[in-house]
Order: sequence, then structure tokens, then C-alpha cells
Amino acid sequence: MLRDKSFSNRMSNLVINILVAIFLCVILMPILFMFTASFMKSSEIFSMPYRWIPKEFYVKNYFNAVTDYGRNLTFVRTIVNSLIVASATTVLSVIVSAFAGYGLSKFKFRGQQVVFLMIMGRMMIPFEAIMIPMYIIAVRLHLQNTYTGLVLPFVLNTFGIFQMRQYLLSFPDEVLDAGRIDGLGEFGIFSKLVFKNSTPAIATAAILCFRGQWDNLLWPLLLSQKEMMKTIPAYLVKFTEEKYADEGAMMAVAVMASIPIIILFLTLSKYFLGGSAMYSSSKE
Amino acid sequence: MKKHNSFSIEGQKARWGWFFVAPAILFFCLFSLYPMLNALWNTFFNVKLLSLKKPEFVGLKNYAYVLSSPDFWSSVKATVIFTLSSFIPLTVFSLVFGLIITTRKKGHQLLQMLIYSPAVLSSVVAALIWLLLFDPRGIANSLVNFLMRTPGIDHKWLTEPAKLYMATAMIYFWKYIGYFTIIVATGVAKIPTSVLEAATIDGASVRQTIGRIIMPLLRPTTMMVSIVAMLNCMKSFSTQYLFTQRGAPNAPLNVLTLNIYKTAMRDRYISRACVMSFILFFFMMILTIVRMKTSESKE
Repeated sequence: MLRDKSFSNRMSNLVINILVAIFLCVILMPILFMFTASFMKSSEIFSMPYRWIPKEFYVKNYFNAVTDYGRNLTFVRTIVNSLIVASATTVLSVIVSAFAGYGLSKFKFRGQQVVFLMIMGRMMIPFEAIMIPMYIIAVRLHLQNTYTGLVLPFVLNTFGIFQMRQYLLSFPDEVLDAGRIDGLGEFGIFSKLVFKNSTPAIATAAILCFRGQWDNLLWPLLLSQKEMMKTIPAYLVKFTEEKYADEGAMMAVAVMASIPIIILFLTLSKYFLGGSAMYSSSKE
Repeated sequence: MKKHNSFSIEGQKARWGWFFVAPAILFFCLFSLYPMLNALWNTFFNVKLLSLKKPEFVGLKNYAYVLSSPDFWSSVKATVIFTLSSFIPLTVFSLVFGLIITTRKKGHQLLQMLIYSPAVLSSVVAALIWLLLFDPRGIANSLVNFLMRTPGIDHKWLTEPAKLYMATAMIYFWKYIGYFTIIVATGVAKIPTSVLEAATIDGASVRQTIGRIIMPLLRPTTMMVSIVAMLNCMKSFSTQYLFTQRGAPNAPLNVLTLNIYKTAMRDRYISRACVMSFILFFFMMILTIVRMKTSESKE
């Protein structure tokens, strides 16, 4: 749109390119710092000016991070915990969201509007407002230090339900009717026709959920007192408290804690970006 | 009537409708509605964790205590300062960068991915990276000293309250600026090209196009970005928690979420924590309603 061959426009084009470059540098510099510092001894991390390429790659940081200085493999356990909790929550929440989104968009029943408003109203309740009673409930049900306790509070994903509903509203009714004529039961229609053809909405909801769980610190902090049941954010906090002065190893833990989510981002980036773009598209 | 209904096709479809929403309703009742009501109930009692005795009814005492406690008000102050100092720059700069990156046609996908990347990292990782950058021996000091030609000065990012506000807001800004920039860019991309072409044909300058056409059309997106950013900032926990665990002074970091956590888990005052939760909830609810209203008005 704003393109013209005149000189002033080419100048402004250059200025804009420079601005974008500065913006990118600010954004990427800390990430680059994390990767490079994870291969440095602490003394090198803090010798200014910072060397963006490590003098020698100090791989021992990674050994120290994984084995807790050769003592135990709690790190491996916590990262497995995080994977289990995030995956389980994602699978359950996607099923519940797809169910509810389908029920709210393709069926008519009395009270439907109430159900929809109720679920949307949930968006207003921040987890922080209900975490204390949630914790008391979890204690009474003996769910401390269990995967069940870490997963259940996050299965209801209001945003995912809303998104599935919006997506399915434009799903052709003819396909469903054709399925009924072919003798598929209602559940068969859902699993064979609807679920399989909703990949974009499902993937976006799944990514949002997985990322949220991978990032979740507050609830695991409340619920998991046992080392063996901690998730990766809680482990990171504890590691930084204990190894106060070994910054290189800290960065190595941070890198490894980020690798699963980075791999996910690199392979499924369009659903990550689509998730944030949804904010501006869901209201049309 | 009812019986007839359940045999008709409509009635059957209605039952399947209920079947599909049932799990969501179940989870809503167990993990949202019940805890919510329970939290409200707790605020009027003196609840002790793990005590089998019936909690004692204390009326509005908990509210009175919280509202008159300096600790609570210092938390409110910390939350308000942190929220304002993060969400205003986030909104302004996401607009600016959103407008800028939509003009770049080459490598659009890659550019978006790079900009988005900090939002992928978890909050604890982000806070940890910046903890090292803000270290007295770290890059932040060395960079600022280089730019201001003041060699060897420690700017005390992690000890002076004002600097701590800046540091935590900076982390939030860094983590979410790309995320919101992309929301804005998507909003800009949705503006029909015909409108912009018409403006160019009518001889509108770039400034006029932005000020008179793009900005008004982008208003719902802007509102959205600012409110979502504000809500996120009000809930911030990980950064402040990690910083205090590393020995940074408590007062400027003691945001409401951190205070709730500490009141409940360290001091075991469940009821007071619930009161604070409710106050936080109240303000976030108002913001959410505003957000829903503004997104409706776009339709």
C-alpha cells in the first residue's frame, strides 16, 4: 500500500527496516544470551563486554544440570512430570472442549443459552481467585503430589470451548445429515466426521493448553511438596535458589526446560501464531 | 408432553446435546463454581487448613483486617504500579510495531516467528534470563554505562524499588510485546485493501491514512490488546516469585498474587487469602466485562 518509488519513500523504507532490525535485536538478544551463557563458566558470563560466542564450550554445565552435580536425576523426573501433566491436560481439555463446542453449536436444547453463558462467565474467574479453595479441596481428596491433582483443575478450557463452537458454527450441516443417513450414530458422527475435520481449531486449542501447562508455576507450587512430583518451572526456581552462584548451570536448565516447547513451536508455529491472531478474528 | 418430546427427533437431539456438554458442566461445577462459592464462604469464617474443628463464623472481620492492613495496601500499590508500567508500553509499542511489520512483505512468516519467540518461553525461564542480565556484573549495567558514558556504576536493578519496577516491567514487556504485535498486525491485515487504495487515490498522506483510517478501524483491536495485557499483568506471579526467592526486596515485588500465595501457604491464613482473591477477582471481572462489551460493539 504505502509504496512509491520516490526518494523520500525509499528513505522511509530504510528507516523502517532499521527499526525492525533494532526491534528484532532487542527481542532475540536475551534468547541468544540464554543459549550462549549455558556453555560458559559463571566467571565468563559476567566478564564484560559479553562474548556472544563462548571461548570454549563448557558442556559440563549440562551434565551438572541434568544430574544435579552427579547426585541424582530429579531433573529428568521433573521434565517427565511436566510432559505427562501438560500432555494429559491437553488431551482431556481438547476432548471436553470439542464435545462442548459441538453440543453448543449443532444441537438445540432448553438451557443451552444458560450453559453457554455459564461457561463464558468462567472466563472472568481468574485461577488465582479460586486456587486456595481448590487447594483445600485437593488436600481433602488426597490429591497432593499426584498427577490427577495437577491435571484436573485445568481440564475446563473456556477459550477452547468458545473457539470450537465458533469453528463448528460454520461446519456444514449437510455433512452431519449425510452421516445420519449413512447410519452413523450421533457419537460416530462426532468422532468420524466432526473431530477429524476440525484440525485447525483443535490444534490451536491444544497448543494454547499445552503451553499454559508448561508455564504453570503457581498450582504445582501449591500442590507438589515432594521433589519427585515437581514440574519443571518449580524445579527451575528451586535450582536457582540452591545453586546461587552457578549461573552457567542455571542457563543450561533453562535451555533444557525450553527445548520441548521450542520444538513444538518450530513444527507447529502456525497454530501458535493462529492462537494469538484469534483474538482479532473471533469477534467477527 | 415431555414423554412425547423425548421420543421425537428433536427430543433425541436435545438429549445428545446435553450429552456433549455434560463433561464441561461437570468440570465447571467441580472446579470453578464450587471453589468460587467455597472461597466466598471462607471469607466469612476463620478457616484453618487441615483442622477438623468447625470453622468459626467471624462476619466481616476478615475484610476489615485485610482492608486495614498496610501489607495489603502495599500489595495493591505494587500491583497497580507494575500493571501500569507494563501494559501501557505494551499497548503503545504493539500498535507501532504492528503497523510497521505489516508493511514488510518479505519473509513475513519468519519475521512473525522471530517476534513471537519470547512468548513461547515459560515465565520462569524469562525471569531467570533477565535476572542474570540485571545482575550487578551483568549486561544491563554494562550497556547502560556504555550508552551514558558512566563506566563502573552499578545501577542496582535488583535492589532499588524504582529499578525493580522497571526491571520486572521490562521482562513482561519483552515477553509479550511480540505476542501483542502479532495480534495488532492481524487486525491491520483485516482492514480491506480497497479502503486503503481509495485513500491513496484520494491523495491521503501516510500520516492521514494511519491517523484517520487505520487507527479508527483498529480501535476494537487496540481495546482488546490493552485489556488482555492489563489482565495478564494483574495475574503476574512467576517473575516476582523468582526475584524474591533470589533475595530481592519484598515490598516492590509483593504483588497481590504473591501476597495471596504467601498468606495462604506460609502464614496459613486461608480466609484472609480468600478475601484478597476476591478483591483481585472483582477488578479483573470489571475489566473482562469491559472487554466483552467492546468486542460486542464491533459486531
